[in-house]
Amino acid sequence: MRNILLLVLSVLVISGCTKHREEVGAVLNVAEVAKIKGMDPALAEDQYSATEVSRVYEGLLQYHMYKRPYTVEPLLAEEMPQISKNGLEFKFKIRKGVMFQDDAAFPNGKGRELKAKDFIYSFKRLADPKVQSTGWWLLEGRIVGLDDWRAAATKSGKADYEAKVAGLEASDDYSLTIKLTKPVPQFLYALTMPYTAAVAQEVVEKYGSDFLNHPVGTGPFVMAVYKPTEVMEYVKNPNYWPATFPTEGAPGDKEAGLLDDAGKRLPLVDRVVVRVLVEDQPRWLHFMQGDIDAVGIPKDNYAQAIGPDGNLTAELKEKKVSLSKDVAMDLTYTAFNMESEEIPQFKNKLVRQALSLAMDERESIHTFYNDMATLSQTPIPPGIPGYDPDFKNIYRTNDIALAKKLLAQAGFADGKGFPTVVYDTLADTTSRQMAEYVTKNLQKIGVQTKVNTNTWPALLEKINHRQVQLWGIAWAADYPDAENFLQLFYGPNAQPGGMNGSYYKNKEFDKLFEKARAMQESPERTKLYRQLAQMVANDCPVVLGVNRIAVSLHQPWIKNWKYMEFMTNAAKYFRVDTDLKKQLRK
Amino acid sequence: MMNYIIRRLLYTIPILIGITLITFFFFNVVGGDPVSIMLGKHANAQMIADMRHEMGFDRPLIWQYFDFLKQIVTFDFGRSYASKQLISKMILDGAPVSLCYTLPAFVIAMLISISLSLLVAFWRGGWFDKITVIICVAGLSVPSLAYILFGQYWFAYKWGMFPISGFQPGFPEMISYIALPVIITVVLSIGGELRFYRTVMLDEIHQDYIRTARSKGLSERVVMFKHVLKNAMIPIITNVVIEIPFLVTGSILLENFFGIPGLGNQIVEAINTSDFPVIKAQTIIFSLLYCVFNLLTDILYSLVDPRVSLK
Amino acid sequence: MSSAPVEIEKLPKGNSLTKDAWRRLRRDKFAMFCLSIVLGYALVAVLTRLGLVAGTWSEQVGKSYSPPSAGSWHLWFGTDIFGRSVILKTIYGAYVSMTVGLLASLIAVPVGVVLGAAAGYYGGKIDDIITWLYTTISNIDPTLFILSLAFVLGKGMNSMCIALGSSAWVGICRLIRGEFLKHKEREYVQAAKSLGASDARRIFIHILPNVSHLVIINFSFLFISAIKTEVILSYLGLGVQGIPSWGTMIDEAKLELARGVWWQLAAATLAMFVVVLSLNIVGDALRDALDPKLK
Repeated sequence: MRNILLLVLSVLVISGCTKHREEVGAVLNVAEVAKIKGMDPALAEDQYSATEVSRVYEGLLQYHMYKRPYTVEPLLAEEMPQISKNGLEFKFKIRKGVMFQDDAAFPNGKGRELKAKDFIYSFKRLADPKVQSTGWWLLEGRIVGLDDWRAAATKSGKADYEAKVAGLEASDDYSLTIKLTKPVPQFLYALTMPYTAAVAQEVVEKYGSDFLNHPVGTGPFVMAVYKPTEVMEYVKNPNYWPATFPTEGAPGDKEAGLLDDAGKRLPLVDRVVVRVLVEDQPRWLHFMQGDIDAVGIPKDNYAQAIGPDGNLTAELKEKKVSLSKDVAMDLTYTAFNMESEEIPQFKNKLVRQALSLAMDERESIHTFYNDMATLSQTPIPPGIPGYDPDFKNIYRTNDIALAKKLLAQAGFADGKGFPTVVYDTLADTTSRQMAEYVTKNLQKIGVQTKVNTNTWPALLEKINHRQVQLWGIAWAADYPDAENFLQLFYGPNAQPGGMNGSYYKNKEFDKLFEKARAMQESPERTKLYRQLAQMVANDCPVVLGVNRIAVSLHQPWIKNWKYMEFMTNAAKYFRVDTDLKKQLRK
Repeated sequence: MMNYIIRRLLYTIPILIGITLITFFFFNVVGGDPVSIMLGKHANAQMIADMRHEMGFDRPLIWQYFDFLKQIVTFDFGRSYASKQLISKMILDGAPVSLCYTLPAFVIAMLISISLSLLVAFWRGGWFDKITVIICVAGLSVPSLAYILFGQYWFAYKWGMFPISGFQPGFPEMISYIALPVIITVVLSIGGELRFYRTVMLDEIHQDYIRTARSKGLSERVVMFKHVLKNAMIPIITNVVIEIPFLVTGSILLENFFGIPGLGNQIVEAINTSDFPVIKAQTIIFSLLYCVFNLLTDILYSLVDPRVSLK
Repeated sequence: MSSAPVEIEKLPKGNSLTKDAWRRLRRDKFAMFCLSIVLGYALVAVLTRLGLVAGTWSEQVGKSYSPPSAGSWHLWFGTDIFGRSVILKTIYGAYVSMTVGLLASLIAVPVGVVLGAAAGYYGGKIDDIITWLYTTISNIDPTLFILSLAFVLGKGMNSMCIALGSSAWVGICRLIRGEFLKHKEREYVQAAKSLGASDARRIFIHILPNVSHLVIINFSFLFISAIKTEVILSYLGLGVQGIPSWGTMIDEAKLELARGVWWQLAAATLAMFVVVLSLNIVGDALRDALDPKLK
């Protein structure tokens, strides 16, 4: 009896979770490799959440999908802003006739038109302490009066959205003026990030703390199914403003057929299905079966995808899969805490240089990246102004003899008398293996290390509290400006919570950096950036690691594909050749 | 009888309080509050202090404890640091997913082990009994991770019999995804279950009434199935009831390996992201659940076996 | 100190009980074989600790991921990602597991015995409090309990042992309490009492030796759970740091299997299987030998 009852129960439970789906129309199938943190633009910190948020929400500006180097172009702004001579005032014209997606929060459930005041509201929201936005740093100290508004909100315990902020002004429904406290050329990049996307006050207020599960934007797609741990489905926004496919691109794009759809209304697909596939193996298998359209190659499936000659293996060639290899705008490094109490020796430049020389990155590129990474010579990665392909960093040559010599000069011949260094890293398998690799390398010059693994938040906390000595970390660009990498070594950022975890303080560096970051892009600025990068290369506040090469595959039926470092809203440009897909999947 | 039940109920109260105290001690006193996770890589000291205030981490412990009790009573554990979702909703979403594979696995393992235990008891002391016991002990000695890894490697990766991992809600799509997890769970649990039921059956066989039945000339088969099994129902049912909370929590390793978005997987993710409130909520909910089922078992037991009393 | 001189006959003879059990155990050839395996592991652990064995585990002995090969015994189980000998790592892992088992027992056994004895012997309020404590802990899912504790205490061997010890004393405590409840009414204890033996003396000299076999039986099962827990915690990144263990080896194998590297998983699993099986059999045999009534 009991058993029968349980069986019945189990059938009930199983059928309880039923839902069937079929593919109709042009569907883009993609995989998200991490669970997303909700659909609130103000919380879109990681790339995965940012990508999902950008399907629904839009901001004033965006990156051009095909032009390289990365160029900013208007999105909800009608044109690029007028910038005053002193670089402090940005005048935006808002595109007319852009509608919010339909939602119960609006009268009669019909989405209303986007107004300039929506941006003011959205920027204030980033400053609202109750929202706990991870994007506040983008605006902090930059917009006239916004910091005071935030301080008042903290004090009173409630943000007053009616209160005026001098630096945010809407003279009419379609004009927005932003006043900065100091010239920040990087500010335009901030306006491409999902953080600064337009949200509607009615929607935020209707859903309150559950707003993150009710995305309502102006974007090309409307969310239809939302199961953040499994699957998200979007359908084409029927009321999307008349955005069109770009007519220009980088040299060669036209020839490659990337601009065949020029002038067509966006988006080009009817639906986007996003599967959350955190584990490498299932994601890979889904791609091999044609269930998802694009995938990065997991480290351990590399041999299956790419042959010894660097090209696709026969198995994948037969599937007509395309391979793309692009230099990612990131940097891995091993940082010294130059103010460590346990290891005061890290203050000594010779010691840092010796340790940098001991690290053999060439082998690690082979072991950990399947040769899909390049040795970084300075903190500025390839692809942005300031990167210098001709500069060779002598402390990245893995010259063990020189390393030993420098260490001896510092008074630690063969590592004698050097304290044991604690190396902090993350707890996952690959990080742990990399840590073992660091240990192994430093042993070559007689420096002993002890490995300590952490969760990501715990590691951040330790860095913030200066409880680290040596640690491995990676930095991915927030925007394509060398400033974003060089600020990791800026003196005033050497404080709890600051980005300069090494506590590198160099007056000359700081002076030049302040000068460079306030400049518009120009050959002089590039020269300064290079100079700054070389200072870091010489002083070794960190052991530079690698710049990764993003290797990805996509299915033959996906058209207009191009690797994009920052483009979180690329989905609207992709076309699915449904006939080809049907034919190939038969 | 009523007296016993009431006393047993009253006895549960200090235990419940104890569970809340221990959990609170772990997470609020020993643990601390990693607020950095919520603020991301650009957080500064002021933002962290504001957040601590916002979250009530700077309040006296006794108030924090009352807040915790309130959370339990209202089943509102706030939002996860990492996913920003309501924890109560996460748990309600995750539990059925875990049940999707634990329940079938549990039923299958139970049916197999009860049937085998009857056979073992029937041929007790013989070679079948001995071999079964040896296999059970050997099976219990293999690390559970090895079952999962080998299962995934051979059945899914090499032979392609099942998807390597993943989960799709819905019947029948789900079947291919849960098949391998169910098989592995059955293999993992059958050793212990079989050992337990064998002991139960052997205990019954040595009872006086069985000897009486036998002396009346009843055949061994009738004795086994009519008397032994019937009387063994009490420990069997008790065992079933006490297992139920574990079915809900699912298996941490299995769900992580197979990418099943159940409660076990939530725990792993919470550990990887220092998501304190999620771990805390799961710990307290399942301890309380376990406590309640323990109570149920005891009451059930006292109903079928009036000799039981609270010592 | 000598024990009470009178009524020797009525004292269950601790000595002869052990001797008896030992004789019974020796007759079980298979159990003796398993016992020697367990002792072998312990010996390896001690030798590793002393640096006589596996001290060179971190050295490169071959190419990255070389498959198992005959020849040098270092290569019998192939190499790992850095070309290190898997067999040496496995031996080092034995040391880690044995240490975790031992340290966890060193926490759990004294705590369990003292609290169990106090509860059973004194009864009343003390019993109430101790019973409340262990019932509470035993109501928390042991996996979650250990995970939470290891999580809040931070990573590493120490917190792993503390977490394990804090959950394992419960079982011992419950057993010892039960035995003390029975034994304190026995004649030999009453006799000692009438002769003016102190509480401490009665607890430690008279009763404890008569229930200590339970601790021994429990010991082997505690080791098993320690070894298994090490694997789970290491897999979750809460285990030992910077040294090889069976748990970290199996964790690495998770990624390696996709490239067909199975030997690290095989070595760690095999090593673990042999010792856990042996401990299981020794534990069962000990139980049969020391306490035939216990099931």
